[in-house]
Amino acid sequence: MQRARRRHWLLCSCLAILSAALLASSDAGAQQRRQRATPVPVPVPAPQGAVRPAPAKPPDPADPAALPRETVQADVSTRRVAVTSTFSGTEIVVFGAIDNSRQASPEAGLYDVVVVVVGTPTRLEARKKNRVLGVWLNTDSLSFESVPNYYSIVSTRPLDEVASEEVLKSMEIGFDYVPMVLAKGAETRGAAEIKAFRDAIVRLKRKDKLYSQDEYGVAFIGRSLFRATVDVPANVVVGPFDTRVFLFRNRELIHQYRARLDLEREGIEDALHAFAFRYPLSYGIITVLLAVASGLLASAVFRKGAH
Amino acid sequence: MACEESHRLSDPSGGIKGAANELMTFYLPIAEMSANVFLFLGMGAAVGFLSGLFGVGGGFLMTPLLIFAGVPSAVAVGTEAAQIVASSVSGALAQWRRNNVDLKMGTVLLCGGIVGSAIGVQTVSVLRRAGHFEFFVTVCYVTFLGVIGTLMLIESLSAMRKVREGKAPSARRPGQHSWVHKLPLKMRFHRSKLYISAIPPIAIGLFVGFLAAIMGVGGGFIMVPAMIYILRMPTNVVVGTSLFQIVFVTAVTTILHAKQNFTVDVVLALLLMVGGVVGAQFGAVAGERLKGEQLRFLLAAMVLLVALRMAWSLIAAPTELFSLSTVQRGH
Repeated sequence: MQRARRRHWLLCSCLAILSAALLASSDAGAQQRRQRATPVPVPVPAPQGAVRPAPAKPPDPADPAALPRETVQADVSTRRVAVTSTFSGTEIVVFGAIDNSRQASPEAGLYDVVVVVVGTPTRLEARKKNRVLGVWLNTDSLSFESVPNYYSIVSTRPLDEVASEEVLKSMEIGFDYVPMVLAKGAETRGAAEIKAFRDAIVRLKRKDKLYSQDEYGVAFIGRSLFRATVDVPANVVVGPFDTRVFLFRNRELIHQYRARLDLEREGIEDALHAFAFRYPLSYGIITVLLAVASGLLASAVFRKGAH
Repeated sequence: MACEESHRLSDPSGGIKGAANELMTFYLPIAEMSANVFLFLGMGAAVGFLSGLFGVGGGFLMTPLLIFAGVPSAVAVGTEAAQIVASSVSGALAQWRRNNVDLKMGTVLLCGGIVGSAIGVQTVSVLRRAGHFEFFVTVCYVTFLGVIGTLMLIESLSAMRKVREGKAPSARRPGQHSWVHKLPLKMRFHRSKLYISAIPPIAIGLFVGFLAAIMGVGGGFIMVPAMIYILRMPTNVVVGTSLFQIVFVTAVTTILHAKQNFTVDVVLALLLMVGGVVGAQFGAVAGERLKGEQLRFLLAAMVLLVALRMAWSLIAAPTELFSLSTVQRGH
């Protein structure tokens, strides 16, 4: 409860700061300061004197040369994933703003925003079963040096409406372009085989909710403010998360913004996980002692009933 | 604002469903999955009931059930070893108090068992890396459960027929001498009133320890018949000695799995233990009302069902041919 309230407070204050900053967008000093700032929102109030009312007449979008170029900035709502005994996943709110927005209203649809969250790279072995003498056996495998454990795309519209295939490919946006690196020696495999394994990885990860896509998940809240919600399942591998926000106008990429997010786990389950991998021998011994204790406790409790 | 509102409204069930899920799900830190508490408590209770009813360890039922429930095979095997420690320690202690444990025989079996367990844990490690562990464990289960289930079914059916025909079930008279007595390294086992070679008990212990490590079972279903028919131990010390050996071998197996394969999930083990010990108490009470041969028939039928279900997973075309495994680095 407290966490949620804190998150709300954080979100509200960020939005307030961003709106204040937007009003003062012509102030070059403020602009520079914001861009230098880390993704962590620092509550720096815009100088009072710099706050000017927004121009009464919206700029003419037909004349792009006369207007300053749009840029996008964003941040995420949470940096920690609390893995408690009842943890079944979490959600991260990505929110951002378009500087120099020429949009008349949130519904104008002048811009498309695509948010791509790429999780920690992991080494992965993908295997394929084949029928051997009547039974199904893993006979084929492909090793990957690096596959993002997590990959989520949220956009204002379906990706093929947002941008061309080339742009999506070059920016690694979309399940077909998830950055995966083959292990040494695996490059010799045929392109079709590699594609089958890549597709299988995406399919299986989507089933586990580790890869996801929401084609209408980015919502504009104001002329320039937008937000998107990204679901993170419980079994995610924590570590550095790369959050990229792409701004498109007329199928053209006009700006992108990158925010790093270090996802951490907290809670007893995570401590157990860390303990099990760091001190496996002690973990094993403690597990056995627990088992012995619970067995003896049970027999003591039930002795009267059983005999 | 309108957009945000509509976005929120489009998912009205999210909050309620999430809250209900949060109450019932547990995150298993090693299996790395969110699991329903009641599913695993219930599974522990059901298998505990059956093991109380039949007087068996229950590992051979629990490990397949865990695998069917989506727990990775290796985690199911490693975790089940820990649960068997809990479920057999009180029985072993009770037998010890009644002086039904042949300590010397148990120690010899244990020596073999620890070596077997170490070999088994290594085998699991190698097979996992090669991606064949799941297949291997399934084949083991189909083979052992199939053979034992069939033998038990035949035996219990013939016993039931004899009871119907009015004959008393004939107790097997073990012969006085067999090939076991011709082996070297003879040892005297006072409690069992035996003077036999140490090789057969070590070999039995080795084999059972190996099975414990790769199948997540105590191995009583192999050891008890082996003690009776191969070692010709008196029946009054068979159960106590085998429980003694099981507690220590599964304890060692748990530690080795935790050390080598990182596949012991303590949260899952605790859920199963709690369900298991409660279920076992009720099972033991229910077991007193059934006749021995009927119990054996039911147990045989269940063992065969599990074997068939596992055999089916080997031959049925899987819906997904691909599988993924993360390669641990640096551990």
